[in-house]
Amino acid sequence: MGPIRIEPQKALDEALKLQQKLSASMTTLRSLDPVTFGVTPKEAVYREDKVTLYRFKGAKAPTSKTPLLICYALVNTPYMVDLQDDRSLVKNLLALGEDVYLIDWGYPDGSDRYLSLDDYINGYLRRCVDFLRKSHDVDAINLLGICQGGAFSLCFTSIYPEKVKNLVTMVTPVDFHTPDNMLSHWTRELDVDLFVDTLGNVPADLMNYCYLTLKPVRLNQQKYIGLVDILDNKAELENFLRMEKWIFDSPDQAGEAFRQFIKDFYQGNKLVNGGLTIGDKAVDLKNIRQPVLNIFAEQDHLVPPAASRALEKVVGTTDYSQIAFKGGHIGIYVSGRAQRDVPPAIHDWLAKRS
Amino acid sequence: MTTTPQDWFKQWEALSQRYWDGWKNQGVSPPGFDANAPWQAGLEQWAKLLAPSLAPAQSDLVERIAANGKAYVALMQSMIGAAAGQQQAGANPAAAWTEALKNGFNIPGLDASLFNNPLGGNLRDIAGQGAKGFEQMMADFAKSAGGPMRAEALATLGMPTFGLAREHQERWQQLGAAWIEYQEQSARYNGLILKSSQNGFDRFQSKLAEREEPGRQLDSIKAVYDLWVDAAEEAYAEIALSDEFRKVYGAMVNAQMRVRSLMQTEVEQQTRQLGMPTRSELKGVEKSLQEVRRAIKTNRESHSADLAAEVAALRAELNALKREIGDKPAAADKPAAAKSDGGNAKPSKTKR
Repeated sequence: MGPIRIEPQKALDEALKLQQKLSASMTTLRSLDPVTFGVTPKEAVYREDKVTLYRFKGAKAPTSKTPLLICYALVNTPYMVDLQDDRSLVKNLLALGEDVYLIDWGYPDGSDRYLSLDDYINGYLRRCVDFLRKSHDVDAINLLGICQGGAFSLCFTSIYPEKVKNLVTMVTPVDFHTPDNMLSHWTRELDVDLFVDTLGNVPADLMNYCYLTLKPVRLNQQKYIGLVDILDNKAELENFLRMEKWIFDSPDQAGEAFRQFIKDFYQGNKLVNGGLTIGDKAVDLKNIRQPVLNIFAEQDHLVPPAASRALEKVVGTTDYSQIAFKGGHIGIYVSGRAQRDVPPAIHDWLAKRS
Repeated sequence: MTTTPQDWFKQWEALSQRYWDGWKNQGVSPPGFDANAPWQAGLEQWAKLLAPSLAPAQSDLVERIAANGKAYVALMQSMIGAAAGQQQAGANPAAAWTEALKNGFNIPGLDASLFNNPLGGNLRDIAGQGAKGFEQMMADFAKSAGGPMRAEALATLGMPTFGLAREHQERWQQLGAAWIEYQEQSARYNGLILKSSQNGFDRFQSKLAEREEPGRQLDSIKAVYDLWVDAAEEAYAEIALSDEFRKVYGAMVNAQMRVRSLMQTEVEQQTRQLGMPTRSELKGVEKSLQEVRRAIKTNRESHSADLAAEVAALRAELNALKREIGDKPAAADKPAAAKSDGGNAKPSKTKR
């Protein structure tokens, strides 16, 4: 008996169903509303160069006395945390009483190619934190770092421990040399000096291409074939397009910061191996003695869980918690399970340490 | 009952006719109403009908659906054809189905380098709105800047350099050598991608063989396709995480950067001749700009810190003075009052 028993008639029905979906799309695609993301009302409270610090406004006043600052990665825009009304980490945290702030790093252009990690971490991030400490009249804030922004938050907390009360890291790479880290594997032989000296800022289109090539068939073909199933559903199609817009609406990477990040984190693995300096300040994760909550995704193809789990062994705190979320790098913000589980987990953890 | 080749052909013709009837109802016709016309042609016409009336974002989406849907529909056609004649699958059904799958990917008009190489096609297709790989970047760059210079560089490759133009000729030779190296590294990279495609088919066949027992068989094209995706991704991941791929990938990217860098040098030569600002000059300006920004911020913060320290010092001094005054309640500022009330004033309370 063969492995495939396809009744020709049934197979033809599959083809005809595909036709019907495509036919329905002629109406659906023409009726779509423009998609946007970043839906929760917010106010710019601090600006510097292209960087903006936003404060989100919830339906009710925050009950938490300590502001919570979200530090996102430089790659992609930070609005994955506030994608749409029913998929928003920000909105859910506000509803739980957190006072949520977010750094939008902006879109670097040629004039920003010499922005370094020192400028980002000891400059922009520190000044945003200082602004919040002053405006809230607190010594230390709660910091929530995401992905590369999580690595930045680890560096920041190590350098300025007195300014961070509690640290939350989400899908944050710590050990860049775990055997399943494909992205890191590819950068190992890269002559990053030649790369940055030649390209200047690293184009977002190239970054996106590299991410797609991590799973080329799944992310570039199967996804769009699966899309046919929802071509007759306006709401689902708009959700899909919103996500597509977010994925491909990405900033270029400031050349110098990229150079340092590849050399020290991807190639040198210095968060784990030691010897990392940001500007003239040494980073030692043993300096992080405040409570740390580390959340990672079990099916993350960009930051493998093992890369995040490594934090437990290298951080100095005795109050370390971790949550393994069933989902991927993006699902941890936008899936239904994420809406239900992640914001309360963060809020409850912070509340116990307020 | 055994299906004869004649029965199979009639069945296949009927299925194809029904497929095209489905499209006809939507205004899409097969090319020449041939029952054997490639099914993906229907998708091409669908995209052409729809795209002009859409906004750019939706239009891009239609292009993506059409590009990937064509591959899927071609696969469908091949698999349905094989299903209609599945009694003729022979002794090794897994191998026969894998062959049908391969045929589905090898659609007419395919670039020869992509024959039996769906992954190669896939990587090429990724480029589009918001994503552009090294190959596309190089193609764009070479189109705008590299064409004539590359020809010149390749023509002078290996010739001895001398005389007034020696420096120029040497640079062109370097560029020519870099270009050849890039081609070689690209070929190595593409070789690994082709190997990955082939390993994907092998894995697919193994996975199929595991499903021959009753209850584990696949009964839809989508299930077959999904199984191939799993196999293709596993094969790719194995190669992409290998030491060989790491070296080849790095060498390919580094080689391209060398070509681009040398071409940039040539462009600078030309633009300098024309009195236009060069990239190096702009880099210098950008670097200075960042240094000035840093200096301003440092000064501002330092000034602000100095000012804050000065204010704090003045406040401390003021408080000390207040305390001092408070400690001498009836001294300096009280005599007038003492006079006015005839010297009967009581000492005030010290406020702390």
